Amino acid sequence: MLRNILQFTKFSRASPTILANNYSQYEPHFINPVFKKDEQEALIKSGEISKIAFVPIKAPRNNDNSSVFHDHRVSKMVNYIMQGGKKELARKLMSETFERIKRIQIERYHKAQTEEEKENIVLNPVTILHMAIENVRPILMVTPVRRGGVKYQVPVPISEQSSYYRACKWLVEASREHDRKTHLPEKMAFELLDAANNSGRVVKRKHDLHRLCEANRAYAHYRWS
Amino acid sequence: MLKKINLNSLIPLAQRTCFRNYSQEPAAVETVHDDDFRVLNLRKTKGTQQQLSRRPKPPDVPPPRYKQMAVDQDWGAVWPGPKTFHPASVPLPVRQGWVPLNKTVPGKFANAELMKIPNFLHLTPPVIAKQCEALKQFCTPFPKGLETEEQQEKHFPVQFISSDYVHGLPTIRNPLSRIVTIKLKLSQLKLDEHARDKFLRLIGERYNEETDEITIVTDRCPLKQQNFDYAMYLLTALYHESRTVEEWESSKQEGDMEYYNWHNNQSKVTSTEVLNWGLPGDSKVEPPQEYISCVENLMNEGENEYNINKYKESVVKMLGLA
Amino acid sequence: MLLRRSSRLIKPHIGLYSTVVEPKLNVDEFRTIEDNPVNHSKQHIGKYYKIDDGLKRKLFSQGGLPKKYEKQIKTFNEACLMVRPQAIEIMEYINRTDFSKPVVRYLLYGERGAGKTMTMAHLAHYGHENGFCLVHVPYAPDWYKRPKEFGPSATHEGMVDLPLDAASWLIHFKSQNNDLLTKSEVGISKTYDWSKREQTTAGSKLIELVDHGINRAKYASDVIAALMDEIKIASTAGKIKTMVLIDGYNSFFNEQTRVFSDTRKKHPVTPDKVTLTQPFINITNFDWCNGVCVLSVDIFGMLGWERESYLPRYLLGKEGFEHLDPFVPIKMDKYDERQFDSCISYYVNRKWIQNTAQGFDKELKFLSNSNPYKLMELCNSV
Repeated sequence: MLRNILQFTKFSRASPTILANNYSQYEPHFINPVFKKDEQEALIKSGEISKIAFVPIKAPRNNDNSSVFHDHRVSKMVNYIMQGGKKELARKLMSETFERIKRIQIERYHKAQTEEEKENIVLNPVTILHMAIENVRPILMVTPVRRGGVKYQVPVPISEQSSYYRACKWLVEASREHDRKTHLPEKMAFELLDAANNSGRVVKRKHDLHRLCEANRAYAHYRWS
Repeated sequence: MLKKINLNSLIPLAQRTCFRNYSQEPAAVETVHDDDFRVLNLRKTKGTQQQLSRRPKPPDVPPPRYKQMAVDQDWGAVWPGPKTFHPASVPLPVRQGWVPLNKTVPGKFANAELMKIPNFLHLTPPVIAKQCEALKQFCTPFPKGLETEEQQEKHFPVQFISSDYVHGLPTIRNPLSRIVTIKLKLSQLKLDEHARDKFLRLIGERYNEETDEITIVTDRCPLKQQNFDYAMYLLTALYHESRTVEEWESSKQEGDMEYYNWHNNQSKVTSTEVLNWGLPGDSKVEPPQEYISCVENLMNEGENEYNINKYKESVVKMLGLA
Repeated sequence: MLLRRSSRLIKPHIGLYSTVVEPKLNVDEFRTIEDNPVNHSKQHIGKYYKIDDGLKRKLFSQGGLPKKYEKQIKTFNEACLMVRPQAIEIMEYINRTDFSKPVVRYLLYGERGAGKTMTMAHLAHYGHENGFCLVHVPYAPDWYKRPKEFGPSATHEGMVDLPLDAASWLIHFKSQNNDLLTKSEVGISKTYDWSKREQTTAGSKLIELVDHGINRAKYASDVIAALMDEIKIASTAGKIKTMVLIDGYNSFFNEQTRVFSDTRKKHPVTPDKVTLTQPFINITNFDWCNGVCVLSVDIFGMLGWERESYLPRYLLGKEGFEHLDPFVPIKMDKYDERQFDSCISYYVNRKWIQNTAQGFDKELKFLSNSNPYKLMELCNSV
């Protein structure tokens, strides 16, 4: 069933996405900056650098840096955590989350009896975040379509970018949803570990959504008719 | 040729008839050569004789004097006293004057710029030497024992500085010439520690720490002499005032001190006690000078890594931990 | 049931997420097997040594290690301290000291997070192994900034008492010196009358005095004063060796405290009005021997408006400086090249640094400026 729906992915991609660029301060022919050293080296090695040598480049944003510890997903996640422009606080919360994850995992690592068990424990918090996001990403979602005065929840496939957005958003929402006594990093650490383990509330939310899409597959044709 | 033709054609017909009337006068045609075209000379101008009139004879100017000057001449005789510049007398290719870019600066002849400025052509070194030689008979010998700067400074410690001005005003007194500066090395005054401290406080910024020099400038009186007297008065007053000790100074507490003195402080008591702790008898061990200066520096110069380090080194040495 | 409680995360087999291969590190590079600080010398500088778990509990169960480091110890599954050159310097001084001379006061100073408290802990361990009686105040500003309880002193007119803090310090003192106190035959020089019925007679053991303070918190402050006097007398007589370690010593000379003379918290008192202050100022005086004082000044022991410089004269003030002078100031510096590398290797070994991509240490060094505390904070999330 899912595959059937996925075949129509091309249709969803057909919708024009030029609008997003319309308010950009850059002309459409500007390309994104390459701010990581290894990516730059790869460009130089493959010779692609000569192709973009004279193409105007957008200025990098201030959270784009060539730090060893920079990670695209992490910096995106920080943006999703941020409220009211308090980025410093958001970064601090993110790093505290990582600290907690590390503490939990390292404790587990030391408790593990055999070498094999130890090797199987993921200690890197960034990897855990990646795994969590991958596990939580939905493939489908529902969109309301009005047909004959009735609103139908029509299942639609979603783009990769959108799926990542939804995954991050769900993780942050789940981390906020607890009583006010628990701090966000504490809760988020648990949520991320759960999600990375393919269990927990957020993964359940994804499954719920997929189930709804499955149930509403009869309305799928409303997307184009 | 063309001119003559034109002239003829321009003569009106009526006049031609007149020509005929006077044509019997032969003198008018006489001077004309046979082969030349005859020209009617009505006004009887004198012709070529008139054109060769006498021009005014150029004055009989001898060549410039410097062209006849010998290389080894006595210049003092040529230019004995102050005199306006004269181009012919000066055997130098002098040029003077402002010109726009890429133009040549005017030479010395008829050059007002050179004449306006005062020159010192009468004061060449050989001339001065000659004059000094002549003046020598009136001079006294240089005072003995004042040959070197140190000797001069020792015997004449006060330096007196003033300026004289030449200016174009009806009055001969330039207001600036009244200002008097006297300079003096503070070490020359031979003050004790208290007096020196007080002196420095009294003169304030007039003391230069690097050269140990005090400078007093007086300009409040209208005359130079008065200002000089006033400056000397100030110096005298400062000297005597700094040497007086007020009664209340003996009752100064540690809190009133301007700077940290180790000898009046708790540090002396404790460090002496630490060094003499448990020692029998009256043999007192005094803290080393290095430690004392380190504590004083730490307190007076303020705290920094360098001073703290020095303090540490001295304490380690004093307590025998090194 | 959330699975995190029962199962572990399984490493994915996708290449994208494989963890970075950790560089093979020779264990000897950053560790030393010499666990006894008495034997530590210059060759151990920059290396980590392990404190036995039981000993750690004995020495630092009531404080003495920073809370964040306690957390690290739990995560790292071992209590390790780096041998800093300053600790070695003080040890060398102590070895050279003539103990018949008055006590030498050493004062640790330095920026925040430079390792003053850790060096104190190292020295406490050293003193314990060396047979010193430890008079260790984990963090003196706590008494003045976060007192557990305060009330007017029963014995000293106009003074404020911190009974619970005093009693808990006595517990700390007892736990650190239990063996020494029970073994030694040191008696008390005079009889102390606490009340009509309670008294500690002359000749009874020091531990009885301590126990009395612990049991009767009301007299704990007075017991501490008596204890300090007795320690000084016993040390001077050569019966015991004493090591005084006070962290945040400058708080004894602060302008103000958060201890109040009234219950309505209207009138804060100065430190000299707190009964706990005098005994510790007393024991850091030079008028006794057979001991050593290691003190530290901490900028965070000061009130907010007084945190301009970390240098000792500024932090101690005139009074404190005059009390300690002549002392040996010792600066806690940031990590040098060797110590930094050792620290990084240790963190990598303990799995604390997960991202070991090319140049990670360089970046950490640049960001932390080789400050131990900042480095630890930065490594929390990488």
